[in-house]
Amino acid sequence: MHDLYTQESARLLGVAKRIARSDALAEDIVHDAFIKIWTRAGSFDPARGTARGWIFSVTRHLALNFMRDNAHIIQVSEQSESAVLAEAALDVATEVDTFEYRARSGRIYGCLEQLEPARRNCILHAYVDGYSHSEISQKVGAPLGTVKAWIKRSLVALRECMG
Amino acid sequence: MTGYPSKDSADELDALASEYVLGTLPAAQRLDVKNRLVTDADLRAAVDAWEGRLLALTELAEPMTPSPRLWGRIERSLTRHDRRAPVQTPAVKPHAWWDLLPLWRGLAGAGLVATLLLGSMLLTRTAPVNPTTYLVVLVAPQNQAPGWVIQANNPEEIQLIPLGATQVPTDKALQFWTKADGWQGPVSLGLVKPGQSLSIPVNKLPPLQPNQLFELTLENPNGSPTGKPTGPIQFIGRAVKVI
Repeated sequence: MHDLYTQESARLLGVAKRIARSDALAEDIVHDAFIKIWTRAGSFDPARGTARGWIFSVTRHLALNFMRDNAHIIQVSEQSESAVLAEAALDVATEVDTFEYRARSGRIYGCLEQLEPARRNCILHAYVDGYSHSEISQKVGAPLGTVKAWIKRSLVALRECMG
Repeated sequence: MTGYPSKDSADELDALASEYVLGTLPAAQRLDVKNRLVTDADLRAAVDAWEGRLLALTELAEPMTPSPRLWGRIERSLTRHDRRAPVQTPAVKPHAWWDLLPLWRGLAGAGLVATLLLGSMLLTRTAPVNPTTYLVVLVAPQNQAPGWVIQANNPEEIQLIPLGATQVPTDKALQFWTKADGWQGPVSLGLVKPGQSLSIPVNKLPPLQPNQLFELTLENPNGSPTGKPTGPIQFIGRAVKVI
């Protein structure tokens, strides 16, 4: 278990931190993830994917569950909200990529390349930042319905691209 | 995005799975999918496929070094969980993951080594802690007055403890002997000073037996010249197992 920790804890913590937006919370999540991985190692089925993938999935979903379950408590403060909106307006206006995704290898990045930047940002804000539809809508400055539709279509496009 | 019929078309199922993995489902629907994953194999397969597709995106989150305390916390919680020994029965192929994951195999191997190590330590350590204990009371043959006690609660040595002062002529010495059933003759355990406790290593002798004879005889100052008791018996007793 310690080997796993040495190898992956920093990356797992990074993933949890992005979604939970708090160092302490991220450590709680990684802690819980390790306990879950340990107690459920016996139920892991390799037919369902790699062990490494499983560990990241467990961590991400714990973080997402926490954020969704506490969505009514965690509110974007007014100041940061306006900052987010300003940033979002910039994103849409210039179609700037918010994520440094280009230098990455992996099939997903090639497929993301084929999406429009605004839609690509929606997908990445959702997956990496753990943003909800409405948070993404604020972030990219597009109507909620538009964001939902973009994401839905982008996922279908990714599915077609990746197989 | 509300209400998914129980019989989703393949596309709807895949859309649901993709949004679950992406993280954009509202809390109630997330929970719904989570519950369905337990029983719905198609949904599970769709979710797993999406987990695989999007996994590489985790690289976009900057790694963050955990605080030094985190591992300690995890370790403590794991220890607690181990004591509770949660029984997780794998639904399918109970050992399949074992063969494919050096990670878990190494983990289990380390656990096994630790278990064996601790187990063998425990075994070798418990032996002296709880051995068969013997007690011998040596009495004077004439009046049955107890003169010495022998304690043997350690396979390495026995202790001879005087119960009172013993008078020994100045030109004589007390010699300590033992003989178990089946032995050719008594074996000397050395000379004994009257009134003094004595620890005698017995690791070269066979293990103590019930009823094993112990005696103190009066011999020359340097001990019996023949290697066998020659003088009169001063004290004698037999080993009794202490329960």
